[in-house]
Amino acid sequence: MTDGQRVVVAVDAMGGDRAPGEIVAGAARAVAELDVGVLLVGRVAEIEPLLLQGDVPEDLEVLDAADVIAMDDEPLSAVRKQKDSSIVRAVEAVKDGRADAVVSAGNTGAVTTAAVLRLGRFKGVPSPAIAVPIPVAGQHPQVLVDAGAVVNPAPERLAQYAVMASEYAQVRWDLATPRIGLLSNGEEAGKGDELRKAAYPLLERIPGFVGNVEGRDFMHADTVDVIVTDGFTGNIALKTLEGALRALSGLVFGVLDATDEARQASSVIMPDLLRLAESYDPDVTGGAALLGVKGMTVISHGASSARAIVNAVSVAADCARRGVVDRMRDAVRREAVTREAVTDAG
Amino acid sequence: MPAETHVEQTPMGPDEVLSLIRERLAEILEIDESRVTRDARFADDLEADSLALIELVEILEAELGERTVGFSVDDEDLAELTTVGEAVDYVVARLGASAA
Repeated sequence: MTDGQRVVVAVDAMGGDRAPGEIVAGAARAVAELDVGVLLVGRVAEIEPLLLQGDVPEDLEVLDAADVIAMDDEPLSAVRKQKDSSIVRAVEAVKDGRADAVVSAGNTGAVTTAAVLRLGRFKGVPSPAIAVPIPVAGQHPQVLVDAGAVVNPAPERLAQYAVMASEYAQVRWDLATPRIGLLSNGEEAGKGDELRKAAYPLLERIPGFVGNVEGRDFMHADTVDVIVTDGFTGNIALKTLEGALRALSGLVFGVLDATDEARQASSVIMPDLLRLAESYDPDVTGGAALLGVKGMTVISHGASSARAIVNAVSVAADCARRGVVDRMRDAVRREAVTREAVTDAG
Repeated sequence: MPAETHVEQTPMGPDEVLSLIRERLAEILEIDESRVTRDARFADDLEADSLALIELVEILEAELGERTVGFSVDDEDLAELTTVGEAVDYVVARLGASAA
């Protein structure tokens, strides 16, 4: 992308439970509503009839890719064997300069693998991490990193996650110095398992680090902006939040529909409740970012609707415009958080 | 022996393959080449995860494929390779099979 040129986002048209219909519709809407071009990647024979149902925007192109990696395919071998898949071709479009960022609602492991193999990792970052926005009432979301990419990382990886996620949060929500917390089982510095105890002194060197946070600090405005943890506990935390929210909303709406009196009373508060529920809808958060690879990669959730794709394209384009990848790479180099550096500093 | 199966005639021996794997794996893992010995275990000694090994395999297939057309690594075999030495022996055997 050069100055004055429109950002182009490659969209994996075949990825996700509702592909290609919702993905194609979302891509078309993104071009119509946002200042962005879209390169739709997938089976032309399936995409074109969907596009013909509406007006095809000028800034929407289609790139043919014959294969589709299924949501339950084993990621490593799928990427290796299906080189003409929509995921691999969409990522390659970024590498080749045809697109500035990529969005996929497909197999997360395959997107991660393709991004590492085709785009490459940052120097010093062995594996990328997944940064997921967690909704917070009345303000910008928190960032949870890592939400599941690396189950058993070394302590310095957590420090790298913090550095990258801090840069990401600065750009996404215009935060000067995002507050960073390490997810643990207590707020005191000595709390946690061996990983957390070893990571804590590394994180202390990073601007914005406020110490340990607990599970109860998710979704609260007055806690932290970035929550750092390993991919194992991060994924469990994410799924726990999703399950709890679903259960809670079911209970609330169940009570409001239980009796005639409740239904009558709920008519007053229902519009506000629905608006609140919508703010927690994963379709509006814009997807997860893959941190640590040399190309802006956004992973939208598997059940993405057209609206989810519009939001994911918007995030991807904004990050590309504002050079998030370069900023994160520079920050990792600048901070150079290693166990050796901490030991040398005494 | 069909000409197209051998772009370069000299077969690679174990030492040459070890040297190539040592160099490429050290680049991927950003570690000193001296750590990549025959006895080194990918996971326990070098902290190489499956993604790093796939990167290595893709590089080896690209580079060795230029010398020996048809050289490839089966993903199913990867799980069996736990040390650098085992990987070297596997690659040498596959190169031999591709050249035969």
